[in-house]
Amino acid sequence: MDLFLQTLLNGLLIGGVIATFTIAFQLTFGVLHVIDFAVGGWVVLGGYLGYYVTALLGLDGFVAIPLAFVLFGALGYLIGPVLYNVRNSRTARPELMALALTFGLFTLLRGGMLTAWGFNTRNVTSMLSGESLAVGPVIVPLIRVAAAVFAVAIAGGLFLFLYRTRYGLAIRATAENRHNAALMGVNIRRLSANVYGLYAGITAMAGVLMGAIYSVNPEVGLRYTLFAFFVAVLAGLGSVGGAVVAALMLGVIEAFVSTYVGSSYSLLAIFATLFVVLLASPKGILRRGL
Amino acid sequence: MSRLAAENVVTGYGKQEIVHGVSLSAEAGQITCIFGPNGCGKSTLLKAIAGALPVWGGSARLDDTVLSNLPVHEVVRQGLVLMPQGGGVFPRLTVMENLRMGGYAIADKRLVESRIEALIEQYPSLARRRRTAAGALSGGEQAMLSLARALVSEPRFILLDEPSAGLSPAMVIETLERITTLTEQGIGILMVEQNIREAMPIADRLYILAAGEKRFEGSPGDVRDDRQIMDIYMGGA
Repeated sequence: MDLFLQTLLNGLLIGGVIATFTIAFQLTFGVLHVIDFAVGGWVVLGGYLGYYVTALLGLDGFVAIPLAFVLFGALGYLIGPVLYNVRNSRTARPELMALALTFGLFTLLRGGMLTAWGFNTRNVTSMLSGESLAVGPVIVPLIRVAAAVFAVAIAGGLFLFLYRTRYGLAIRATAENRHNAALMGVNIRRLSANVYGLYAGITAMAGVLMGAIYSVNPEVGLRYTLFAFFVAVLAGLGSVGGAVVAALMLGVIEAFVSTYVGSSYSLLAIFATLFVVLLASPKGILRRGL
Repeated sequence: MSRLAAENVVTGYGKQEIVHGVSLSAEAGQITCIFGPNGCGKSTLLKAIAGALPVWGGSARLDDTVLSNLPVHEVVRQGLVLMPQGGGVFPRLTVMENLRMGGYAIADKRLVESRIEALIEQYPSLARRRRTAAGALSGGEQAMLSLARALVSEPRFILLDEPSAGLSPAMVIETLERITTLTEQGIGILMVEQNIREAMPIADRLYILAAGEKRFEGSPGDVRDDRQIMDIYMGGA
């Protein structure tokens, strides 16, 4: 019973971190109509930044969270217009061209990181590393609790921005119908670049947290891209609310399979779940997808 | 008095030219209607004037401002709003959020809020349902929301793409009445309409398009006198 509770809690904590970047992933799909294959690359970049903040500067790994947002947010902001131009070009099948572009970006990030940092696995360390918290019979590593708290804060901040500011309203309107949003005076091109920057920044922040819970190396990016795809399909492409539910489910499934079956089966279990859910509800769990 | 004018506008979708050089003008405080058979390019012309489609040749101007050089999101800042077919409300946003989007181009947030409060009093069905998602409103309520939203920016001209489409006969009458009262406030209306029977009596000036070209312009009185035009395009209405 203790192991069950322990696994459930672990799964929810990790699911919370996955939720932060999958929310942003969904938002990006809504606004740019691009499925960003590079999502895992942004996660890994954040993880490395968390590692180097300690390794080079001697600071606590969590200090990298705001840095990741600024640095990778700026990089995303520069890439955003390119992605927008490709997606809205007059070539045949611009949606496939854009997907190919993000796949290329992912390959570039992965290859660049392999060249620069090699295969070595790195951890984000904090003064909380190694400490743990006992909640009754359940023992939780403090660093996971901290990661989940940061994740909730990031997601909460994003929701406040989306639901309490004019620009957030414009983003939600654009995600629904960008032609009509443009008629209301929204500069869609600029907004798309901003959203891609916001998304890249948030995803890299989640990467710092992921690096603190697990570890990073350039090869794990694909795993996070698959996670984002899983959440997007389960939630319904573009659905932000569904992403939270689906990410928590993903975290819990992964934790249970890893604990009771073996971690090599976790992707199998995740995609089997996806298959069953799609059979039962093709529009996603909340039936609000596109 | 403001004047909206299109001069020899050529436009279309992709590589397909649909409107082959049409000129028209609309005055503030008047209702100008564009009639014509399906696929004649009425809506395409309207979108091109509003900047939602690129103008390939000719130009659209509002007084001295050339609209056809502006990106679509700047056009609303010049005092011109397009109401797309079906109203174009954002179904997942609430009534209030839709209205706030109507004022997105205005920098002063408090001004937008006070305009919305003043407007919403004139639309009781919306005032009762501020926090309802627009997609949950009836077709008629969505039409009212769309009209109220267009007014938040206090435009000089409103372009309407078939405001009566999909509405019940009673709602068509209410919508057209509301449009008529807008002209009393000095707003100019340029609208594309299929429902000639209802729209003709409120029109001050009208144009008939066919196959992307202008076939007629004049007052409703002129068109009634023209038997040939009446028979071909107006179904004898």
